Amino acid sequence: MKVVGKIINISELSVKVLLMDNNVQLRDILVCKNNDKEYKFEVVELEENIASLLPFNRVNGLKKGLDVELQEGGLQIEYSPNILGRIYNSYGEGIDGKEEKSIEKKNVYERSLSVAEISIKNSPLWTGIKVLDFFAPLQKGYKMGLLGGAGVGKTVLIKEIINNVYKKFKSNAIFIGIGERSREGKELYDEMKADNLLDKMSMVFGQMGESPCARSKAVYSGLTTAEFLRDQQNQDVLLFIDNIYRFIQAKSEISTELKRIPIENGYPTTMASDISEVEERINSTDLGSITSFQAIYIPADDITDDAVQSISTHLDGQIVLDRKVAEKGLYPAINVFKSSSKAIDPEKIGRKHYDLVQETLKYLSRYEELEEIIAVLGIDELSEQDKIIFYRSRKLRNYFTQPLFVSENYTGIPGEMVDIEDTLKDVEDILNGLYDDVDEEKLLFRGKLNGERKE
Amino acid sequence: MGTHIENLVNQKVEQIKNKENIFDSGTVIKVKDYIIEVSGLENVTYFEKVTIWEKGMGYVNQINENSVTVAIVKEYSPIKIGDLVKSTGEQFKAIFAKQAIGRIVDIFGTDLLSGKVFEQIEYINIENETIPIMDRRDVKRPMLTGISGIDLIYPIGKGQRQLIIGDKKTGKTQICLDTIVNQKSEILNSENSIICIYIAVGKTKKEIKTIYNELLKRGALSYTTMVVATNDDKQPVISLIPFVGLSIAEEYMKMGKDVIVVIDDLKKHADTYREISLVSNKTPGREAYPADIFYLHARLLEKGCQYKNGGSITILPIVETKGGDITDYISTNIISITDGQIVLSEKEFAKGNKPAINYKNSVSRLGGAVQKPEIKKLGANIRRTFLSYLETKEVYELANIDEMTLELRNKMKIGKQIQEALNQPKFSPLSNEEIIEKFEAIVKQEGKIDEN
Repeated sequence: MKVVGKIINISELSVKVLLMDNNVQLRDILVCKNNDKEYKFEVVELEENIASLLPFNRVNGLKKGLDVELQEGGLQIEYSPNILGRIYNSYGEGIDGKEEKSIEKKNVYERSLSVAEISIKNSPLWTGIKVLDFFAPLQKGYKMGLLGGAGVGKTVLIKEIINNVYKKFKSNAIFIGIGERSREGKELYDEMKADNLLDKMSMVFGQMGESPCARSKAVYSGLTTAEFLRDQQNQDVLLFIDNIYRFIQAKSEISTELKRIPIENGYPTTMASDISEVEERINSTDLGSITSFQAIYIPADDITDDAVQSISTHLDGQIVLDRKVAEKGLYPAINVFKSSSKAIDPEKIGRKHYDLVQETLKYLSRYEELEEIIAVLGIDELSEQDKIIFYRSRKLRNYFTQPLFVSENYTGIPGEMVDIEDTLKDVEDILNGLYDDVDEEKLLFRGKLNGERKE
Repeated sequence: MGTHIENLVNQKVEQIKNKENIFDSGTVIKVKDYIIEVSGLENVTYFEKVTIWEKGMGYVNQINENSVTVAIVKEYSPIKIGDLVKSTGEQFKAIFAKQAIGRIVDIFGTDLLSGKVFEQIEYINIENETIPIMDRRDVKRPMLTGISGIDLIYPIGKGQRQLIIGDKKTGKTQICLDTIVNQKSEILNSENSIICIYIAVGKTKKEIKTIYNELLKRGALSYTTMVVATNDDKQPVISLIPFVGLSIAEEYMKMGKDVIVVIDDLKKHADTYREISLVSNKTPGREAYPADIFYLHARLLEKGCQYKNGGSITILPIVETKGGDITDYISTNIISITDGQIVLSEKEFAKGNKPAINYKNSVSRLGGAVQKPEIKKLGANIRRTFLSYLETKEVYELANIDEMTLELRNKMKIGKQIQEALNQPKFSPLSNEEIIEKFEAIVKQEGKIDEN
């Protein structure tokens, strides 16, 4: 490594270097050694002979005048079949203490696919989660967003999807943890290990306690491994990102530190292009596919938030988790009016499924109106027709709750997967009044129904 | 102007004569509240402790091309332009002293009751690197509060971060004090020893003394230390105090102890940090908070964990809300970091339900995983029954009781009984066994209630 400059400015989240070498470019990695401690940085801005750098970790103890060296190759991650079963940090370093065999590495800033390479052939992919399969059905190669405010169950749902889809299809998967809890990352790792599924998954973590630099890089490192499986091994890959909002959040922190002018709510001016750079890499080719599930945090419960909106334009479908539903104790707490997918199309899911979705939404939206009337007048004042809609809607609402495998600890009820055909039949039966005599309680946290009636 | 430069030159000449070089000393060139700019100090490291000659102390919070920015933590007399600043060659550190148990200490390790510094002290980092993912273990051991609404319905485990959130005067601090006091009986049956740390973030001296007296009266000080920044401390001190408290907690955790940390409160902390950021000319983001406000609290609360050596840090951060709104920016940030939240509401408080927990908005992400099997099943059952009752109650409140099905009437009756049973006066903890006995009696009536 050769010395390329000296540190001249240090603040909490950025460092400036006076360069004596013009051979430094954006996204290069520079290293500084001081008192046995190694500090690493990425170049984010160049102006004449001054480079602005992002520190990988905290800068306490760093001082002016220290030499920085250039690390060849930039930010790299392992690019070989050995990635499976491994767990990496944002910078492509293994953190599971396992030995690295035959290291083939690749720079994490891959070009995106061309229009010609992209494939959009689709086939259905059922998750076994009733409300998801019914209102927002999924196809292979889709990008599915799971949107929700704080504490309404995004991570639980993404874990349930991992449990169901990943176990069912046995395809390889990549999990990218961005700015989420370390505890949950470790739990996921332990669970995968206990279920002997670890050798089919690779994980990359840049969690919430880590620097903005780490949180902004995890996604690139993770995508590079996913692309290895798609492009080199021609596989159908499942990609889980929890949470893509945190990537933008990290970018805002960096942008502020560089004193760039922000747009609304402090988001970086480059937000849309930052997201596009990442999302355009998540695509399928004729040889391999990437189906992705992306959790999206909604700050301050504001779904019109710019970052949330910028991300959701890239999605093929979205599930919106709602605090009002969670307050009622109905889990998964999905707002069915805001959840949908591009597969809600008679040509893709069939006429029957399509019609049932429309009919159900009609019932549930009338129910919302009726709830307001009841709050003032009481149930007794409703017309007979409305009473029927009211009671059946409550049953539908209860029916779409489901015991999840990953929350068994919490609910005490074992998880269940439900076949889409069963879901369609049950919904049809409820709408047709076959369950009119059954107490609505009985439909809470069930798998499929067994056609039980009240004797 | 000319004289000013002349003075500076003379000063430099003087310094060279005194063999003080500009690498280790500098002069104040700008004073802006508690942030000063210093020329010189060429050799300081980031976060180094510096002294302002006979006037105060601070730490380096930015190193520029031609100057250094220092945040003041202590000021004996007003700082002026031209004051001499000296580097110390050491990082600004916190103090760890075992004798601090039972005492009130500040950021400098001073015992605020006696005014003295402890005899045996150890310098520790104010902030360590985040605890690696692979050094963490499952959170699964119960941390009992003695409050049935928590231990039964939204349990907390050792190593969990559980937010206590609510408006002013809804009993947030009380829940934490109850929890600390309840550890007195827990210590007896726990394999690890337990240490509690109460961190006051910019509280009044009166509030701090009141809490001290409460803990003293109930014999909780033999295992509790109070790490405080009062509201007239310098803003940088208030913003560092939670990190100091948790750094002390990390020391105990690494000895294999179970540490319970209360941070009172993080909203005040966020506001203090915002003030410092704005004074230092950082670009404001949402609600004028700096962009790294999430990172600030995330890295603080990520120190809570079940550690590989068996020790743990449980954190109970408190957040004060306005008008019962838990969906504001800071609250949702913290909710998205913690492993659950106990929401306290003014409405419940007014109805006389104490603790005034809003069961609909409260969450524990770990749930039954941190409960003993005996209470886990009952807890899940009670939670389901009770939440369903609260939801149904709203819809059927205006319905005619005579037309309700028997099932519905039973549900209403049991729900009401659960509500009453959850009420519990302060400092009157219930053991798991007592909770089970009390609530099992209610559940057992199910199906037995007659038509009356």
